Amino acid sequence: MFYSDDKKQYSVLNRRTFLLYLLKVSFFGIVGWRLYDIQIKDSKKYKTLSKNNQIDLEIIYPVRGKIYDTNNKVLASNIKVFDVYIIPENTKNINKSLNELNQIIKINFSDRRKILELSKEVKKFEKIKVLENINWSQLEKIESNKLNIEGIFISQDYMRTYQFANTVSHLIGYTNKPNREEVELPFIANMPNLEIGKDGIEKSFNPNLIGKSGQREIEVNSYGRIIREISRQDSQKGNNIQITIDLRIQQYTLNLLKEHKAGSAVLMNINNGNILCMASTPSYDPNKIIQKPNKEYWDSILENELSPLTYRCIQGLYAPGSTFKMVVAIAGIVHGIIDTNTKHFCSGKIGLGDRLYHCWKNNGHGSMNVSDAIKESCDVFFYEISKKIGIDKIAKVAEDFGLGKIYDVPLPNQKKGIIPSREWKKKKYDESWYPGETLISAIGQGFVLTNPLQLAVMTSIIASNGKNVIPNIIKQNNNIEFKKLEKYQNAIKIIKSSMFKVVNESKGTAYNSRSESTPFAGKTGTSQVRRITVAERESEDFRKKEVEWKKRDHALFVGYMPAENPRYAVSVVIEHGGSGASTAAPIAKEIFQFTKNLEI
Amino acid sequence: MLNKIQNLNYLLVFLVILISFIGAAGLYSAAGGSYNPWASRHLIRLALFLFLAIILAFINIKFIYQFAYIFFILSLLLLLSVELIGVFGKGATRWINVFGLSIQPSELIKITIILALARFYHDLKFDQIKRIKNLFFPILILFLPFVLVVIQPDLGTALSIAMLGILILFASGIRIWKFVLGFFVLILLIPLSLNYLQPYQKDRIFSFLNPEADALGRGYQLIQSKIALGSGGLTGKGFLEGSQSYLQYLPEKQTDFIFTLIGEEFGFIGTMFIILLFLLLISVCFYISIKSNHIFGRILSIGVGSNLFIYVIMNISMVSGLMPVVGIPLPLVSYGGSAMLAIILSLGLVLNAELNGNLKKLYNA
Repeated sequence: MFYSDDKKQYSVLNRRTFLLYLLKVSFFGIVGWRLYDIQIKDSKKYKTLSKNNQIDLEIIYPVRGKIYDTNNKVLASNIKVFDVYIIPENTKNINKSLNELNQIIKINFSDRRKILELSKEVKKFEKIKVLENINWSQLEKIESNKLNIEGIFISQDYMRTYQFANTVSHLIGYTNKPNREEVELPFIANMPNLEIGKDGIEKSFNPNLIGKSGQREIEVNSYGRIIREISRQDSQKGNNIQITIDLRIQQYTLNLLKEHKAGSAVLMNINNGNILCMASTPSYDPNKIIQKPNKEYWDSILENELSPLTYRCIQGLYAPGSTFKMVVAIAGIVHGIIDTNTKHFCSGKIGLGDRLYHCWKNNGHGSMNVSDAIKESCDVFFYEISKKIGIDKIAKVAEDFGLGKIYDVPLPNQKKGIIPSREWKKKKYDESWYPGETLISAIGQGFVLTNPLQLAVMTSIIASNGKNVIPNIIKQNNNIEFKKLEKYQNAIKIIKSSMFKVVNESKGTAYNSRSESTPFAGKTGTSQVRRITVAERESEDFRKKEVEWKKRDHALFVGYMPAENPRYAVSVVIEHGGSGASTAAPIAKEIFQFTKNLEI
Repeated sequence: MLNKIQNLNYLLVFLVILISFIGAAGLYSAAGGSYNPWASRHLIRLALFLFLAIILAFINIKFIYQFAYIFFILSLLLLLSVELIGVFGKGATRWINVFGLSIQPSELIKITIILALARFYHDLKFDQIKRIKNLFFPILILFLPFVLVVIQPDLGTALSIAMLGILILFASGIRIWKFVLGFFVLILLIPLSLNYLQPYQKDRIFSFLNPEADALGRGYQLIQSKIALGSGGLTGKGFLEGSQSYLQYLPEKQTDFIFTLIGEEFGFIGTMFIILLFLLLISVCFYISIKSNHIFGRILSIGVGSNLFIYVIMNISMVSGLMPVVGIPLPLVSYGGSAMLAIILSLGLVLNAELNGNLKKLYNA
């Protein structure tokens, strides 16, 4: 029975084995087909997805370096600010979350609509910015309610801040997002959202202040979600920078300048070229430029016809007027055309060709030597000697005294000005030089244009007995020794004694500004306004008074202090200030006195 | 003995070695081009287990036959002890330490189930198979380990035990209508059993049904493995060039998902080659089964072949998105000692069955 069944059993088993085998082969077929679908048919789709499956680099932005004044006062630093984000996937009802947030801080209606629209477009794990730069008290309120508001996320950022907003704004500049060209700069490579310095020290020292970016390698899946952090390299803080400006003098000076519509003053240490004060008015508040929205403020700056963005100390070009006379006198002495005894008679005017050239004093100064001519600022004396010196020699001396130059100091957008010569005119206008133009140039009018920093440098060179002073704005520890211009020694001695008389002898043009406690020397200048130095905006309804103001002369004063063994040189320019003696010299006196008091 | 060495099925041995070497290559790549930590150990295991399997092939089949139930009960006790450790010890576990080897009893039990069922049907007279009461014992053999594995909980292994049982019962000649009935009972049991599933297992099933719905969470593995496979294309990205696995996107790339890595690096040609090798290996088992003169050898070979088949189909279906991710390795390719030991030893049994295929009855009736 056992054996008879065998045959039957084996045939059943064979059949079942065969069926089972068939089943298995067909399953292998199904699996094979599936793999064909994925690996051949849809391969393109998966290849694309595979490429998106990547390691991303996230940039960790560095904290910008601080800027200090010479006494370690912070001029520019960074404050923590907080941005509020919402992450749609973390809240069940984004509307409800926004409502709750709205009870703490008002979110305006259009912003709210934008957020809601955005939340539908972006991936649900992406954060959407709701509020920017919220303050501490708002932050506290949100933090204390955070558990109740779903999906809220607060991120910390740094914002540049300027402690002495208007005082050093031109010099320090401000930061902002880079424009298209700036993005290419090597030091901001790979940091597209970095705010960079756009003006002043902030701009010149971008590479130092910025620091080094860090980075975070993050694994991102094909949907853009961060899976994990692979590596992290922290950013490096930017270097701090200390400038030579003394904030106290700067503030004091700016207050003096603010009594006038527009003007500037530069104070330098003549021994090392350090600029202690470089004030310009009107100025602007960089904090208001940084904080968004800034359009309103920005527009108000651009519409202001006094052009608050202009840094008058280096960008304002003025005819130097009588402050140029030292240069002419020095040229006369070193070229042997005059000595201390050479005299010219001033009758109030001289003629050259068919034109008359007037002295500022209509009835004339009488007989003048060089010392008197500087002290009383006699124009005729300089007309006379300039005829003999010639414009080219004057120009050479002017350049030796720092005029018509752009200095190698980290101050962007310096304006060079003009020291005219035959060659210059030929090049510029393709015209030959007229003798009359020499006379005009000799009193610092005509083509001659200088900026206030140049005038301060010129005065420093005179005050330091001919040291080739180069201005400096970054505080340095090593002592700087400037080369002496030997050939001017004798001439400078004569000029310095004349400049002392300007302030300290009766009949001197700045005699009214003399100071018993702080004896100083200097030279006034009053330059006729042939054209407005600062591009004026044409407006059709400008008031009569405005026109009058614009027609007034610029008031200038250059000087050094103390009169004996000087340490400081100053230049003051008040636009349309009337006369140098009445407007500029008193300001110089105040600055000198204030500076001297600080030393004690 | 010399005769036995000569008659050994060297095709089967060759296939085992070839597939294992492909596995080692994949593991070498998964480690970023390094033998350590996986490829080297994989090859050492291959050598060791293959040696054991060949020894097993030379053992008298009567001995194996006589101890079939004992082996089953022993492995069932091992499984139970894992369960008890899971209950009384710290957390759930699937491993147990045997002679310093970390072993997963749930892998071994499949082999002893095959042995037990092979002996049962060998002993059962053919006309007795029809009897309902004779269904009781084989179902018990399947049900006990099934329940123990389900409560581990290891859904993949439980499912493969159930499938293995069905295939063996089918091969042994159970009437077709009983399967149909069993199928309906199963359908009715599904909603009931869902209640007993762990939350993560439910998630797996639901994510399988719609992986893109939650691509960032539970569907992640599946999408990543499909990206790996699909981006391989026809010829693959080249050995060690698979970016998916290099970037760690592939979950468990050295174990359950090794096939996707190979698919990424060797393309469709590579995956087809592996599938054909497996089909060939299973065919060898079936050939040995047909050749065998005794039921024990037949059921044993079919059982081992089916077990292999279940592993391969479940693993590839899982990584290609045909079924939920349930945690089943690809035999001989995936890294992991227990499954490899079970597979190679079971193939050793098949070798044995072939060497002793001309015996008629294994017991001295």
